[in-house]
Amino acid sequence: MTWTMRVDWPSCAARGLCAELLPERIHLDEWGFPVVEGTVTPDLLGLAKAAATACPHRALRLVSAG
Amino acid sequence: MSGAVLASVTSFPGAGAGAPVAPSAPAATVRRSLSARSVPRTVRTDPPAQVVATPGPVLLSGVLDGPSLEAHRDRFGQLPQLDLDTVLATVGAGAVVGRGGAGFPFARKLAAAATGRRRAVVVINLAEGEPASAKDTALALVAPHQILDGAEVVARALRTTEVHIVTPLERPAVGDAIAAALSERAAQPGRRDRSQPRWRMRAAEPGFVSGQARAVLELLAGRPGLPVTAWKPEAMSGLDGRPTLLSNAETWAQVAAVLRMGALGYAAHGTDTEPGTTLLTLPHRRDADTAVVLEAAYGTPWVDVLGPDVEQPVLLGGFHGTWADAGVLAEATVSREELRARGLGLGAGVVLPMRADQCPVAVTSEIVDYLAKASARRCGPCLNGLPALAEEMRLVALGETSASWTRIGELVGLVDKRGACAHPDGTARLVRSLLTTFDDEVALHLRGGCSR
Ligand code: SF4
Ligand code: SF4
Repeated sequence: MTWTMRVDWPSCAARGLCAELLPERIHLDEWGFPVVEGTVTPDLLGLAKAAATACPHRALRLVSAG
Repeated sequence: MSGAVLASVTSFPGAGAGAPVAPSAPAATVRRSLSARSVPRTVRTDPPAQVVATPGPVLLSGVLDGPSLEAHRDRFGQLPQLDLDTVLATVGAGAVVGRGGAGFPFARKLAAAATGRRRAVVVINLAEGEPASAKDTALALVAPHQILDGAEVVARALRTTEVHIVTPLERPAVGDAIAAALSERAAQPGRRDRSQPRWRMRAAEPGFVSGQARAVLELLAGRPGLPVTAWKPEAMSGLDGRPTLLSNAETWAQVAAVLRMGALGYAAHGTDTEPGTTLLTLPHRRDADTAVVLEAAYGTPWVDVLGPDVEQPVLLGGFHGTWADAGVLAEATVSREELRARGLGLGAGVVLPMRADQCPVAVTSEIVDYLAKASARRCGPCLNGLPALAEEMRLVALGETSASWTRIGELVGLVDKRGACAHPDGTARLVRSLLTTFDDEVALHLRGGCSR
């Protein structure tokens, strides 16, 4: 099973923690919104879960990439 | 309302001639005053004031009979009673795909909705948000019972009675026509059985994205009718988390047609790989306030649809569509497969041929500007990215050399697939298509020129 991060865009308020917690997969665009790259590999699963939990707006989810 | 419907005949190709069938909305063309540095407006961004429907092979075969239930039953017969397996097999064999733009196979949605543990909900979406589109409007006005038949047969097969109908508030004639059709059905003798659908109508607020599937479901759930993030397909989890079979009016009418005619009868129209027909909306050649809706069997040469306009550049699929270069359609036929092979798409069937003096770069800029303003302004990348893209495209259209190809590409990448709905994706598709089809013309603009 492969995973990826999905953003609930209407809830996302930008400039958040997610890019700091998962820089391997998330960086911020020029307006501060997360750009998600690629799938979450097993070695990153823990960090990805932490990033999703840390999002103050519950806007970030770990979902199946299938 | 139905009394106001005047049938009209135009020969196919019909984009040029014909009398109005019915007014679809009060004429409300607002022409903006042009500032010195804005791109002149040539694209209509209001719904058409009038719609002309021309008789066609299947869905529009009864245009001249008028929209009444009696005429409908005389021509098409009684509603078939079919079980779920028969419905699934027939729509599958008829290869009916959704006509709202995404082109998803209807049978797969139906199968998913049927396997849910909770009872399914059926939704007819008539909220055509795209101003250039009028096919669902035309169907409501001239053939409402085809739409209702499709939803009713499928609702019965799913053993549900809950059918919602969403109409566009800015095209009040649609709601009127559907209401009239429903009261005709309610007055039918012997139709009081408990399995009869309980139709519920709702009007969607004006707006390009208010007809989007999730926006419609939000409206039905009693919340503001704006798109929200879909974590699962609506056929699995839609209205109140129930399996929801939401399709636009044309899809329901196509479903009714294939179920009535059988897959073989339906396949008498179209080609071996693409059975049946599709509705197209074109601008009227002489009257900018009028849209022409016609029905083309798959495999019909584009020249039969467009006439001499087939030699012009054509925007296919409307504001979220793709550009066909001048002459590309001259030898081609109406076929989703053929278009896909050329990197083009039919979307919801809007076909906008350009005039010889129209610059595709300027037209694209105008449309992107409109689309940026049509954003529901809830998702960061769409809210920030579309206006930035519109501004860059405005500079390109004006031949400002400060605009750059790199920046356009960057902005397109930053909006694509980064919203709750596909509005930014559609905008990205339009701009990418301009860059691909009219690369020379864009390059010329970036050097300060324009060939037209
Ligand atoms: S932490 Fe959450 S709200 Fe903040 S930018 Fe990331 S996804 Fe958006
Ligand atoms: S992607 Fe744009 S149009 Fe769609 S919901 Fe988000 S802000 Fe609105």
